[in-house]
Amino acid sequence: MLTRRDFLKLSALVTASAALSSCAPVYRRLAGGLPTLPWTPLDANDFLALNRLTFGPRVEERARFAEIGLQAFIEEQLDFESIDDLACNLQLSIFKTLDMDANEIEGVTNGLFDGYDRERPARELRQATLLRQIYSKRQLYEIMVEFWSDHFNIFIEKEPLFYLKTVDDREVIRKHALGNFRDLVWASAHSPAMLVYLDNHVNEKSHPNENYARELMELHTLGVDGGYTQNDVMELARCLTGWTVKEHFWLGEFTFNNDLHDEGVKNVLGLAIQPNGQSEAEQVIERLATHPSTARFIATKLTRRFIADDPPQEIVEKAAQTFLNTNGDIKSVLRVILLDGLALAQPKYKRPANFIASALRLTNTETDGALDDYLIRMGQLYFNLPTPDGYPDRSEPWQSNLMPRWQFAFELMRNEINNTKNNLNHLLDVASTGILADDVDSLTSLLLGAPLDRLERDGLIASVHSADSTPEETLQILAAGILASPAFQWR
Amino acid sequence: MLQTLPMLHQPQKSWMPRLAFAPHNVAPRGDTLVVIFLRGAADILNMVVPHGEEAYYAMRPTLGVARPDDSGKKKEERVLDLDGFFGFHPSMSALLDAWTSQQLAIIHACGAPDESRSHFKAMELMERGVASVTSGGPASGWIGRHLATLNTGNSSPLRAVGMGTRPQRSLSGSVPVSALRSIADFHLGGDPRALQQMRAALNVVYEDDVLGQDTLSIMDTLETLDPNNYYSPFTTYPDSEFGLALKQTAMLIKAEVGLEVSAIDLGGWDTHFTQGSTIGLMPNLMKDLAEGLAAFHTDMADYMNKLTVVTMSEFGRRAYENGSLGTDHGHGSMMMVLGGNVDGGKVHGQWPGLEEGQLIGPGDLAVTTDYRDVLSEVLSKRLNNPATSDVFPEYQPVMRNILT
Repeated sequence: MLTRRDFLKLSALVTASAALSSCAPVYRRLAGGLPTLPWTPLDANDFLALNRLTFGPRVEERARFAEIGLQAFIEEQLDFESIDDLACNLQLSIFKTLDMDANEIEGVTNGLFDGYDRERPARELRQATLLRQIYSKRQLYEIMVEFWSDHFNIFIEKEPLFYLKTVDDREVIRKHALGNFRDLVWASAHSPAMLVYLDNHVNEKSHPNENYARELMELHTLGVDGGYTQNDVMELARCLTGWTVKEHFWLGEFTFNNDLHDEGVKNVLGLAIQPNGQSEAEQVIERLATHPSTARFIATKLTRRFIADDPPQEIVEKAAQTFLNTNGDIKSVLRVILLDGLALAQPKYKRPANFIASALRLTNTETDGALDDYLIRMGQLYFNLPTPDGYPDRSEPWQSNLMPRWQFAFELMRNEINNTKNNLNHLLDVASTGILADDVDSLTSLLLGAPLDRLERDGLIASVHSADSTPEETLQILAAGILASPAFQWR
Repeated sequence: MLQTLPMLHQPQKSWMPRLAFAPHNVAPRGDTLVVIFLRGAADILNMVVPHGEEAYYAMRPTLGVARPDDSGKKKEERVLDLDGFFGFHPSMSALLDAWTSQQLAIIHACGAPDESRSHFKAMELMERGVASVTSGGPASGWIGRHLATLNTGNSSPLRAVGMGTRPQRSLSGSVPVSALRSIADFHLGGDPRALQQMRAALNVVYEDDVLGQDTLSIMDTLETLDPNNYYSPFTTYPDSEFGLALKQTAMLIKAEVGLEVSAIDLGGWDTHFTQGSTIGLMPNLMKDLAEGLAAFHTDMADYMNKLTVVTMSEFGRRAYENGSLGTDHGHGSMMMVLGGNVDGGKVHGQWPGLEEGQLIGPGDLAVTTDYRDVLSEVLSKRLNNPATSDVFPEYQPVMRNILT
């Protein structure tokens, strides 16, 4: 265990170095590092479950799962605050904008300072997001952060979201990812980034703008078939007039401007809303957050994320009921979906970020997380989707863009990616018998859960045979081939 | 003992979803569509100049381009007459061949109904193919919906390509789209021996996977293509990002890798300051555009019957020049359509005029042809897609007979 003094020393060490990659191995070793254990083949259902609970199970997660079983593993992950995450946090300490408020972030990017860099906040946030998915031990929590980032999607390229989204990520998404849904949607509604992204900052009595009001009901709470009308959208938009963002002092803070607010009586979802300033919309938000349509909509989306593209109805119903019974307690809903649902899980195609994170996790890769080029080519750069519906969660839209995944697998295993080094050799050292076929069994067991059928394994080995290659090079290609294979694209 | 062993070529359960969305229209592939978006709101009044308009010269004392017969100006500073009323900016001269061969049509005073004059909003609406933010409508792009509603039996990963670092919004939809900065993006670079081994491994793991085999065969085709060594005996592409994008589009078409749509951006048109009359910022952009299109037209001469190129921009610019020798955001724009089946050599559309009372808003060209009329005609006549109401929901297009 690290003492506080050690922690400070490490923080200073990490902070002092601009070139993260050079010191990563040093502090990881100091901080306990990523253990390298031998691994044993897993039952297909267990491997699938682990693939839904993590961004791809590391060997120590396999070991933990084998030791305590599914239910205890889920409980451990749900109690995320009890999981020590020092090594991951140390890696993030160089990203200074992550902890800044909007005013500060705007300040360091507005050209009055040396090293002016407008791209920096978005770049740091993207890098941190990937690094957390790879290195955080709070895997289920990070999966939920990703889920809500899609659910409350914000397009960081829209002006001036480059300095607002970081705050939304920290104060809305990460703060409430495993909390209560009502608190989450409440925080999102008061989030300057969301108000700007969906044009509510210009929603004024004289020029109403329905954009946010509509998406609040259609995408964030009730769902498109949730039983609201165009009139409800217009009336909620009236409630939301004057919800805007400060532009001068306390730049980027939420504010309610009564001068821009429509003071008439409104009627939303059959409920008369008496004139009461900012409280009017808050009253509606309370109602939306616990509405039966919302329960069903959120339960459906969560079940789709964790269980199957076409979610089993019995799980959705049970989860929706739990949502209502617990007033939107996210952990309780997840518990139902995972414990009752995982047995019904169907294959899901890994989205690009999941593919990248899983490949890096399973090969114990050290990286600085600057992999935007790959995410762009695969089609899932974080916070870069213009439309508010979030990146698709279904398998079908992702299936035909294989080339960048192959390139990534190939370049990763041959250590051709900048500041990114896989530790396959080190991993296999633990398990190697020196016989290629055995090493391939270890490898497939690591990456796919269990060894391949012998015929298939031998076919694969024969295909890459080259008299000029060293065993190490051959294993690299085999690993790349397995990472590129259809089997590894599914989770 | 394990119940089931993983298999490389399929997920652990045999059920594998594929193309859950079944397009309701089936048709053979039509033309390859190339869509060029001029980002930033191009000043089309200085591209296809209404030299027959007195008001044009009154409103643009500095930026106006001299009449074709203005003997007070050098020839290279005068408009190139097209039909006695309109003429090309001299920097667009490269397009005269396409014009005289009647494969280039211009639709003037063309655009979208939205009058926000906001780049972000106007581009978004135009790429989504919807009329206004408040009308709702699908979040996907019009090209994405075209591809999603039409089954051409083509599952190529290069069915739609966005040239640049990320795919254009217009391409977003349920059909996957590749962003291609360079054809080299589709190469597995590196040590030749390792590459050969990797290729062999991929062949094994994707043995019975259609999408994988398609991708492998395209990879093999593209491995042999190098835009740096591309040679067209008839023409040279401009040495620019835009020229490269067109050149690569030509290479993909000739390589027959299943390309149905190529989307290309040409940015820099937001000319509020010193845009230049016959030399400078905007003339350089026009030259890049015209020379690129002309090179593509020449290079692809044998393919023109199966090719339609469209240019568009989010809106036009103010008819009056501003105090900074530039132009501010306006309304009516212009589209060009190039191809072997175009009613070309003609300026289509009704000209609304530039006189007081004819301009709209703060002094902008009116829109007399909706851009969706032009695109709907391309879709139904050249791309075999009858479902234009799915592509442009809640819009009833008017056929303008720009295509044959």
